[in-house]
Amino acid sequence: MNKELTNENKLIEDIKKTFPSSEVSIQREKRVIVKIKQDTVPPLLSYVKDYLDFNHLSHISCVDWIEQKKFELVFILWSYDQQIQIIAKTLINRDEPKFTTINKLWRQAETYEREIHEMYGVEFVGNDRMGDFLLEDWEDIPPMRRDFNTIQFVKENFNDRSAAREDSKNVRETIAKHSGEEIPEFAKKYSTRNIDE
Amino acid sequence: MLNDKYSQKIVDIIKNYTRKHSLWVVAYGTGCGAIELPPTMTSRYDAERFGIRGSATPRQADVLLITGYLSTKTLKRVIRTYEQMQAPKYVIGFGSCAINGGMYWDSYNTIKSLDQYLPVDVFISGCMPRPETVISGFIKLQEMITDGKANGAEKYKENLDWYRTNQKQVIKNWKMPDYNW
Amino acid sequence: MEINWIKIIGLIITPIIAFFTGTLYGGSARNITARIQNRYGPPIWQNLFDIMKLYSKSSTIHHGVMQHLGAVWAITASTTTLLFIPILRDSELFVNLSFDGDLIFLLYIMVFGSLGMALGAGQTGNPNSAIGVSRGLTQLVGYKVPFIMALVALMIQFKTTNLNDLLAVQDSFLNWNIFQSPFAFLAAILAFLGMMGYKPFDIVFAPAEIASGPPSEFGGKYLGMMQTSRSIFTFAKLVLFTDLFLGGAENFFILIIKTYLLYMIPLLIGIVNPRFRTEQSVRFFWKWPTAFGIIAILIVAY
Repeated sequence: MNKELTNENKLIEDIKKTFPSSEVSIQREKRVIVKIKQDTVPPLLSYVKDYLDFNHLSHISCVDWIEQKKFELVFILWSYDQQIQIIAKTLINRDEPKFTTINKLWRQAETYEREIHEMYGVEFVGNDRMGDFLLEDWEDIPPMRRDFNTIQFVKENFNDRSAAREDSKNVRETIAKHSGEEIPEFAKKYSTRNIDE
Repeated sequence: MLNDKYSQKIVDIIKNYTRKHSLWVVAYGTGCGAIELPPTMTSRYDAERFGIRGSATPRQADVLLITGYLSTKTLKRVIRTYEQMQAPKYVIGFGSCAINGGMYWDSYNTIKSLDQYLPVDVFISGCMPRPETVISGFIKLQEMITDGKANGAEKYKENLDWYRTNQKQVIKNWKMPDYNW
Repeated sequence: MEINWIKIIGLIITPIIAFFTGTLYGGSARNITARIQNRYGPPIWQNLFDIMKLYSKSSTIHHGVMQHLGAVWAITASTTTLLFIPILRDSELFVNLSFDGDLIFLLYIMVFGSLGMALGAGQTGNPNSAIGVSRGLTQLVGYKVPFIMALVALMIQFKTTNLNDLLAVQDSFLNWNIFQSPFAFLAAILAFLGMMGYKPFDIVFAPAEIASGPPSEFGGKYLGMMQTSRSIFTFAKLVLFTDLFLGGAENFFILIIKTYLLYMIPLLIGIVNPRFRTEQSVRFFWKWPTAFGIIAILIVAY
């Protein structure tokens, strides 16, 4: 990288001085990743918003690490003056996921938290509008978790015509047979796909 | 004199001619295929030559276009819209999501084959079909009306129990008015 | 008792002629709109097919007795308006009913149709209909004021309230009322823009804004009756204006030329303009058209 990342380096120094238990790194130009513990999230976000001028919250997202039994919440922030994006990540417990809301800093966080509550089951303390959002009358486990088997759910609840779909047949071999060609060697390992895995 | 077979046939020919040359479409874009409707209705691929016009409410319309996927939340509202229209009414299914689930074949929230919940007259395949395909789908519907085969509304009336069982399997909270003849 | 058979035949044929001419004018309006927008439009008889398709719907859904009566009142109003306007000047067949004071009668029978539709829309209970009705009646107050002033100016100038006497006054080309009372003509033609229902004054029936307003719960045969009444009413208004200001017509050929040219004025203005809000349209009608009307009355009264 030939460019001098002065703004990003200055940012890293500021954050590391105020919150010594965080891990900061530069991914590339204009992208800074900060990994923090669960209880330092509201102080870090309000420090970054008020003192360092990161006043735009782009998104809140959630990742399901089922092997380590943790959810990871990702906060993406943007600053108009410095044109830098901060990605702040925390890990929370997967069995009883609870977190405080950051509704008071940015009002649009209410919508993102409603979606995460419906899709992953994370409870946000202080947000009043948890409830039905996108799915109507949903009675199963939250559907974006990795232990929710979509294909089995579809097979039980919907009568589908998947016996006639192309995906359940072998597309490459069918086309090769129709046009009288050979499948090349490098493509042979993608020819058979099991849709149940 | 007015009830014998020949005059009935002449009346049917006149009725079908006027019905097929003025089709009014409900202005309701149910899915992502509704983006192909403005080019069809405006200057380049003019659909008003055939008498196809947008209509503001379902009470005034003939044709319901299901343009794309339907989640279970939308299906409840679409059924209510369909039952407010007045017979004879036709349903056209756009895109591969209406035929067999399309891109969302493994989704927990969309329905997979529209035929089991609403009576469909014409399917138009594509993802999304271009305006020329949309117009040729309407011409196919016009041919079916001339032959007298476009009777989805009567199919719905006769097999209402079967359609209702399928709909209630997907929609859990069923609080809707009865079908208003 | 003598039965004037010729007049009775004339009274029966006139609405039929008005219906077909009104639908042809509507179809040609759609065609002209399409050509201005650089495309081909539907065929000229498209409005006739629409009305026939609406009458051939096999199931009708209604919300009560008043909705039946609303549609019936609309057709009654437009046909009654038509029957009091002389279509051709001196023909025995087509000079319809007339009596002294029928100008004032026409002024209030023209509002009867909107009243019928408003009552029918009120029965359905749809909030879109209620909003559309209130907007329609507000706009009606707007354009009636200059229209009434123009008619009052004409009535004072020629000292008559009978439409046939006004026709008899305009006996040669230079005696048309355009030249004899120009300010009344200006006030009336600007009010005519509001009566026709084209943009910029079509907020009452806007499809995308309030889901077509009052007729939003009307479907099938009721909507067919509303469209029929609208076609007949268009023809009636056009012939009324030709009789008041353009000297009437002696045969159908001249009548069609005059009414078509008069129809082009609101149509061509309407195609290229957006829509006014209700208070903007009322403000428009109460400024310059009312000023022309007041000038017309003052010129004539002194």
